Amino acid sequence: MFRTISVRLMQSIPVLLLVAVLSFILMHLLPGDPAVVIAGADATPAAVERIRRELGLDQSIWRQLLSWFLNLAQGKFGSSLMLNQTVLSAVGERLPVTLSLAALSLAIPLPIGIALGILAAYFRSSWIDAGVMAIALIGVSAPSFWIAIVSVILFSVKLGWVPSAGYAPLLTAGPGAWFASLIQPAMVLSLFQIGFLARMTRSAMLDVLEQDFIRTARAKGVSEWRTVGKHGFRNALVAVVTVSGIIVSLLIGGSVVVEQVFALPGIGRLVVQGIMARDYPLIQGTMLLFGFAFVLINVAVDIVYTLVDPRVRYD
Amino acid sequence: MTSFSAMFRMITAMGRSIALLGVLATPLHAAEPNRGGSLVYAYLSGPGTLDPHVASSLVELEVIHHLFEPLVAIDNNYNARPVLASKIETSADATVFTFTLRKGVKFHNGKEMTSADVLASFERYRKVSPNASVLADVDGFEAPDPYGFVIRLKKPNAVFVDVLKSPVYPFEILPAEQKDKAAREIDIVGTGPFMLGEWVKDSHLVIKRFDGYVPDESASGPDGLAGRRTAYLDQVRYNFVPEANARVAALQTGNADVIGDVPRDLAKRFDGQANITTQQIFPYCMQVFVVNTQAAPTTNPLVRQAIEAVVNVEDITGAMGQISRPGHSLVYASSPYYQGDAMKPYYDQRNPAKAKALLKQAGYNGEKIVLQTNSNYPNFRDAILVLSEQMKDAGFNVAVDIVDWTTNASNMQRGTGVWNVSTTGYCSNPLLGPQQWKVMFYTFPHVKDDHVLDAAYDAFYASLDPQKRIAAWADIEKRVLEQAYMIKIADMGTMRSYNAAKVVNFMPYYIVHFWDVWLK
Repeated sequence: MFRTISVRLMQSIPVLLLVAVLSFILMHLLPGDPAVVIAGADATPAAVERIRRELGLDQSIWRQLLSWFLNLAQGKFGSSLMLNQTVLSAVGERLPVTLSLAALSLAIPLPIGIALGILAAYFRSSWIDAGVMAIALIGVSAPSFWIAIVSVILFSVKLGWVPSAGYAPLLTAGPGAWFASLIQPAMVLSLFQIGFLARMTRSAMLDVLEQDFIRTARAKGVSEWRTVGKHGFRNALVAVVTVSGIIVSLLIGGSVVVEQVFALPGIGRLVVQGIMARDYPLIQGTMLLFGFAFVLINVAVDIVYTLVDPRVRYD
Repeated sequence: MTSFSAMFRMITAMGRSIALLGVLATPLHAAEPNRGGSLVYAYLSGPGTLDPHVASSLVELEVIHHLFEPLVAIDNNYNARPVLASKIETSADATVFTFTLRKGVKFHNGKEMTSADVLASFERYRKVSPNASVLADVDGFEAPDPYGFVIRLKKPNAVFVDVLKSPVYPFEILPAEQKDKAAREIDIVGTGPFMLGEWVKDSHLVIKRFDGYVPDESASGPDGLAGRRTAYLDQVRYNFVPEANARVAALQTGNADVIGDVPRDLAKRFDGQANITTQQIFPYCMQVFVVNTQAAPTTNPLVRQAIEAVVNVEDITGAMGQISRPGHSLVYASSPYYQGDAMKPYYDQRNPAKAKALLKQAGYNGEKIVLQTNSNYPNFRDAILVLSEQMKDAGFNVAVDIVDWTTNASNMQRGTGVWNVSTTGYCSNPLLGPQQWKVMFYTFPHVKDDHVLDAAYDAFYASLDPQKRIAAWADIEKRVLEQAYMIKIADMGTMRSYNAAKVVNFMPYYIVHFWDVWLK
């Protein structure tokens, strides 16, 4: 197993190199100039040119790429042009927010989405199936921006249950304030994940419930609970784990819209602001870190496969 | 030498009368201000930097003017008024400016501010500021004694003190130890009534009352960014809330006491909530169409004038969804440079027939005219979309190109990309006067070799007589509008709302400020 993980991590190096080159080239292909953003609207053209020179933006794109790779080789991810801090510290500051939101946004939809998916599959073609799929469709289709605003008006303004925006850190504000600041955005994010999980679980369960071994279990007189819950769901779990891995990847990448509406200082907002300001080092560094995080998540998902399905072996 | 304070009194006499009327019209609040408490202000984003010498965006300036102070700043009428200086003397030929500093002013670190700090700050400004070109004619800075500071110019500049009043890239005074700090790397230590507390990027920023603050005792009260400023609040917390719906909800739920940038439509949600007061801030910004003089066919002044002729302001502002007022001038009516109705002929012409005649005269043959705008600011986008229809009606071949704001702004400022017309808003420039407009007039339309404009600006800077400067501005403004380098759309306002049951004396002003504000 250790050897497998090591090999998978080694295999990720060319992937990360590709991510690095692509993120660099795509950012530099975008029109717009970070020197203009830094200088401000009232700056003279000469001042803008001076900043371009100071940042090395007057050099060729290949020279800039080479210089970035040389820094990466020394473990330097670079410094943000706008934030006056290193990319690692900028991401590090925002990571607790994104991880907190991701954890809650995974903890809520996992049991609900899976339960709804199993119910829909078990009561296939009934009103329960139709109802669950309608909920799933709404969850997947409704724009999170709209849901977030309606949620704020209802739960914050009308009912006053939760704050309308802002993040309360766990360590300084305490678990109560932390939870209150995150539950609403997490619920909004969860609607999509619940819909996604329910549809995928239903699909996987439908395949499994048609299998011979399920019929055999029923013929042997095994209870329905045990037949569906143990024999059925255990075999559908591989698909659920795959979907959960995708969900974690999406959540780590930041939930830009939800972070924006609820004013959460997470990684999604950082990336959007970086792109808007053409903060090349910030975006390049963040993309590379995201790439590495996705590789780790995929390795973790592969390991979980061996736990949920003993037939999967890598050695 | 003529005393600056005498000139200042003369220039601001009318403005003060207007201000007095404003004060009389303002309802009297609690007689005794309360000291203490914490106020939460929700605004759309946070500052990128608090280094005043490189700061130009409003979100940065709103914080910076609480923390730092310059020698001179703008008052309620946007005229220059001494802050850290107690007296300013200008030589008869407008080449030597002598500042006498106030004594006993303390930095947040407890050190007294002296001319050594002023000298170091100006020298740093010249090295790091994107606005350093305004000091290009400085022959030298001198600090002859601890409370005297002298600036010598190579050639006369009658409005040099007005240059120094700019709230954008402000000439704030830092401790001398910061002299060699690179841009954006200073320690946030000033002489302002508040000092920096906590700053969590993308989340919030806290400023705390500076108990060692030494106010300008010569003034009776606050006056714009100058005057006798008093911090009553223990602290102000700036929450960065980019989504307007969330800001409105924050005020409704008590999570914020003051919110900025309230969209017109969302302000209706406060109907029936007696405790919430909404202010409309005018003057705030001016929106104009910028015409690229270096891209065909708008290299031809007749084509530019034809575009100017089709503009129908009411249709454009109606589509923009923001509060606005029609206005033909590039300065506001309260400005000494306002030219009455002289610039009206260039404004809101609604004359497609004139445009067609001008196009015919220009030999226009259906060449494509690119109107570039962005998706980030709906008011800019909508103005361009309406203009494109107005131009099509007059026979222009128009293509609309929508990009993001950074691309749009870069193209306008650097002349890159393919565009003929774009639009943007200018906030400080029309408020502060001709000297603040100059870079914009040349940079955005990419004006080159316009000897008429050059000569008018030379006359403006060299004229020691205020009347001659006003006449020079008339030539400048006429040239910009006649050549259609810029086409005026409207005076744009902004809306701010606050909880009037809690917050007292929150005054409408171009830059949000919290000195002399207290809680009930």
